[in-house]
Amino acid sequence: MTRELIISPDPIDEAALTAKRVMSDGMGAAITFSGVVRGAEGNDSISAIDYEAFHEMAEHQFNKLFDTIAERWPIESVRLVHRTGVVKVNEPSLWVEIVSPHRPEAFAACQWLIDAMKKVVPIWKRPIGTD
Amino acid sequence: MKVSVQFWSYFKDLTGSENTEVELAEGATIAALRSELQDRFPKLKEMERSTLIAVGVEYQPLDFQLNDGDEVSFFPPVQGG
Repeated sequence: MTRELIISPDPIDEAALTAKRVMSDGMGAAITFSGVVRGAEGNDSISAIDYEAFHEMAEHQFNKLFDTIAERWPIESVRLVHRTGVVKVNEPSLWVEIVSPHRPEAFAACQWLIDAMKKVVPIWKRPIGTD
Repeated sequence: MKVSVQFWSYFKDLTGSENTEVELAEGATIAALRSELQDRFPKLKEMERSTLIAVGVEYQPLDFQLNDGDEVSFFPPVQGG
């Protein structure tokens, strides 16, 4: 399984990422997920979220999750981008792509990856108000 | 022995610092380190049940035995995505 991981303050260019997709002939599913900053946290309106990452540990923990995916599903590739720093409302903070032979394993792996990420990958968010 | 401690997210606000160093007895565990830090930064005690602890880049339990020079991180539950 090939993997690509980017943790960066740069904006996520979904079109450019999609254009770089690589799939072999046996692959029939490519799914992507974009996590986008909502305009509210609980009952409070916000303008952005400031993401902080413990970069070295986040990379390590993401790679452990990728290892588990490679063991559990016949996935050809995983690409994941997570932004750090200030991400405005309506902008993506997370982008994930999974390529696999069929859609069930792609959806399952993607769902599992994001759920697991939210438990172990050391990234935190600090909402920024609208004032 | 001496270990370095790094605080992340709002734990930096609770302690008023990003990092510190702690002298511990040889063979001390993370539990001993946590106790020392809670004495030094009482607000950490209030967050005890919401604290994750890593040595280097791996999560470790309270009975993990520390070594001289270890880099230990204390932080609240993660929130990526």
